[in-house]
Amino acid sequence: MVDTLTGTPPVGWPESRKDRVWLALSRFRGAPLAAFWVLIVVILGLPVLLFLAVAFSPRLFAQGPEWFTLSGFSQAFTGTLLQGVVDSLFVGVMSALAATAVGFAIAWLVIRTDLPGRRVWTGVMFALLLAPSYLVALGWERLLEPSGVLDVAGFHLDGFRSLFYGPFGVIVVLSAKGVPFAFLAISGALRGLGEEFESAVRVHGGGPIAAARILVGLLAPAIWSALAIVFAESVSDFGVAATLANDAHFPVATYTLYNAVQAFPIQFPIAAAVGWILMGFVVLALFAQNRALRTRSYRVLSGRSRPARRLRLSPAARVTGLAAMVLVTVVGIGVPAFGAVSASLINGLGSLITSHGLTLANYGRVLSSASLRDPLVYSSQLAVVTATITVVLAAVSARVLSRRGSGVSARVLDMSLLAAVALPGIVFAAGYIFTFNLPLFSQLGIQLYGTTILLVVGYIATALPATSRVLLGSVSQVQESLAEAGRVHGGGPLAAWRRTVLPVLARPLVAAWVLVFAATLLELPMSQLLYPPGSPTVSVAIEHALMNYDFSGGTAMEVIAVLGALVVVGLAWGVFRLLAPPGWRRLGSVP
Amino acid sequence: MTGAPISAEAQAGHTVEIRGAVKRYGKTSVLAGVDLDIPAGRFLVLLGPSGSGKTTLARCLAGVERLDGGSIRFGSRLVSDGRHHLPPERRNLAMVFQDYALWPHLTALGNVSYALRRRRLPGEVAQRRAKDALEEVGLAVFANRYPHELSGGQQQRVALARAVVARPGLLLFDEPLSNLDADLRERLRVQIATIARDSEATVVYITHDQSEAFALADDIAVLDNGAVVQIGPPEQIYRQPATLFVARFTGSAGELLGRVLGFETGYATIDVAGRPLRVRCASQVVVGTAMRVLVRPAATRVLAEREVSDTAIPGTVVDVAYRGRGYEHVVACAGGSLAAVFDSTRRPRGSEVSVLLDPDGCVAYSESFDTDIVSITTPKGVEPARARAVPA
Repeated sequence: MVDTLTGTPPVGWPESRKDRVWLALSRFRGAPLAAFWVLIVVILGLPVLLFLAVAFSPRLFAQGPEWFTLSGFSQAFTGTLLQGVVDSLFVGVMSALAATAVGFAIAWLVIRTDLPGRRVWTGVMFALLLAPSYLVALGWERLLEPSGVLDVAGFHLDGFRSLFYGPFGVIVVLSAKGVPFAFLAISGALRGLGEEFESAVRVHGGGPIAAARILVGLLAPAIWSALAIVFAESVSDFGVAATLANDAHFPVATYTLYNAVQAFPIQFPIAAAVGWILMGFVVLALFAQNRALRTRSYRVLSGRSRPARRLRLSPAARVTGLAAMVLVTVVGIGVPAFGAVSASLINGLGSLITSHGLTLANYGRVLSSASLRDPLVYSSQLAVVTATITVVLAAVSARVLSRRGSGVSARVLDMSLLAAVALPGIVFAAGYIFTFNLPLFSQLGIQLYGTTILLVVGYIATALPATSRVLLGSVSQVQESLAEAGRVHGGGPLAAWRRTVLPVLARPLVAAWVLVFAATLLELPMSQLLYPPGSPTVSVAIEHALMNYDFSGGTAMEVIAVLGALVVVGLAWGVFRLLAPPGWRRLGSVP
Repeated sequence: MTGAPISAEAQAGHTVEIRGAVKRYGKTSVLAGVDLDIPAGRFLVLLGPSGSGKTTLARCLAGVERLDGGSIRFGSRLVSDGRHHLPPERRNLAMVFQDYALWPHLTALGNVSYALRRRRLPGEVAQRRAKDALEEVGLAVFANRYPHELSGGQQQRVALARAVVARPGLLLFDEPLSNLDADLRERLRVQIATIARDSEATVVYITHDQSEAFALADDIAVLDNGAVVQIGPPEQIYRQPATLFVARFTGSAGELLGRVLGFETGYATIDVAGRPLRVRCASQVVVGTAMRVLVRPAATRVLAEREVSDTAIPGTVVDVAYRGRGYEHVVACAGGSLAAVFDSTRRPRGSEVSVLLDPDGCVAYSESFDTDIVSITTPKGVEPARARAVPA
């Protein structure tokens, strides 16, 4: 059995020592999956579960005398803590309603009408999605605060300022952050909804309003999803809570939880009780969504659906539509960006000096001062490491989830990741502080608290659930037979994956890397609670600068960080376009 | 064509021995103890309905699925059992997938070249051999095209070239023609038969299409519910189906009910609606036993008006379809209904006709057991797949 062209026997035949090793190793086929599961439990499950358990049993973790108590909950429902819970519920409901209404309108304009600039508006939605909520809030604050940009420019909007520094402002910012979620949920459903349902109403005597009512009815699952997602995102938000809401003395639950963890002595049982309440809100939203849709079927997608035609807007409707889109863009991106950029260009903003001129000196200061520059470099390094490890783990998770016949393992992982996506970031962060501060870890010789490693692990745990879900769509679309063909035709497990599956997934993997990088670079809750002493991350450094009334330096750092993120995003895609083989680039590209 | 033809350097195929192969998905048993021997160089078709386990068996042979029990050996070498598993790339085989599984980021040439990596040939040689393989399937001019720039048939031929280019010891085909139209299917079937046999590899070909199986196979193994119910050359499977299931699955014009009037070696006379029908029946049956007679499509014809026969079954035409060379009728008879009853003349719906049946195309099974002629299947100790099929 010799290849007559080369005189060498074909690899793998007849039986070699390597084959015997393979046969022996094949007995441990479950080992890689078991290792993966240990990792998931350690970084996702354990910290949150232990933290939540302390709400009921402080003694179990040396946090109090009781083995079982509900005192954390009773305290969570009194005074400022109760106020925080009620406020969170209120802004959550209001933001969900407002964002869903606006998101629906935008989705309809973009998908179903000939409104000019539809791609631009879709791009605006993605930009809003990626903008951290604290940056949006800070942009507004820089404009409106006393001695802020508008004050310096001679516009004294005291009435609007007092309105914005309160629930109204918090709801506006959270709604603006919620709009892209609602848009994505509803536009996906709207895109798949054929024209025949509206046509059926019209041919049976219904007018445009009756057709619109049917349309809204058919989109009920997407609308409920939008409401649930925006509500969950709003009550879980920490960025607005730590900035605008805190500055406005408007307590919300995520910030009261943070305060409980930062208090001296630390009140973990109370923080955990607030964590339970926040999770309860999320579960409540999902339960309401489920209950609303339970008895009805909304299967409207079929291969026979005819794509809907775009509605031709009248000139007046077109102008109104464009004006509405510009307004959303201004509120969500324009004002915050203008606020940040203008504040970074004003000399001595926030200080007591009376003459303020335009200058680029703030940027020079950030780049030359170690205390302002180092956090940028540090966060960039952390973001690169986090993005790389997260993408690898997320690809493995997506593979486990999409694999044929992975059964219980996939279902448990699916539920864990879904729960982790819904879990407020601040609960995660508090869980990390709590768990890795436990005496057990120091007894085991594991000193992770206050280290960069724990911060990176925390970042990974925060990013992994959403990234896995993002990759799941692409990984599920890859036919199993591609990798199987790679193996059958001679490639080893890694080589076959690298040569047959990686090229197909390259684009989504780069996209996921870029998303994780940008999100980690500007991440707040995990950074706020876990940054190593003396090494603040960029978000923490911005907060510190603003707390010290260095508004110009803080906003300059903010602008540089956002620009830096955009440059890295551009670089990542540029490198992909330049270096990836032609076949890789063809996949997923629009001709 | 440049370079040596593929067949010129082909190596001997694997001898495959499957013993008690078991595979479960959760609580569902997909393979329930399959025993099968495939001599080197034979073309075996696994024939069975959806869910019978044929694809799972091929995937276990390929090594992309693991056995839960039993064993698979290539020659004397164990490649899989309940605890051990040699990965696919160490088995020296190739596979043509149902969905082709061409890698979309590679050109046709890139796809074919990939399979040569295990041979570790110098680049130039590998390139030449891949081009030869593409030429063999008539696609040399499309070497630089990506899969999505090729038609379904062309994609399938690239998959075929990729499978044979490295001269594997075992070639697996998983319903490779199921996504193609009828005309293309026939042309590709011929190409597969020629190229696969030229490669001298052992071939295992999966299909649920009995005509495809009969056309391609040296031997056919019929699977049902995860077990091999009959194995043998196509002629044996067609003429002597071991069970009613095999008979039905390999082509039936209909079934008639009757009772045994008499028996002589290999044949029984059955009373169907008062007419004595002579049909095949392997096992001894007692007079008066209730029987089910399965009728092959080719065994029927309408009796001409001037012909007379005591054994022809009377019936009424309920449907007629034009088939080019003549007409196929559906005839309702007293003992059952017969489809595909051929006649060169169109018989109008509702007309009375007599259907003449060829005894060798009718097989009888007792109503209580559907395994009456199980005795014609392989006796223990004999490996039927080694029997050379007689060309039809």
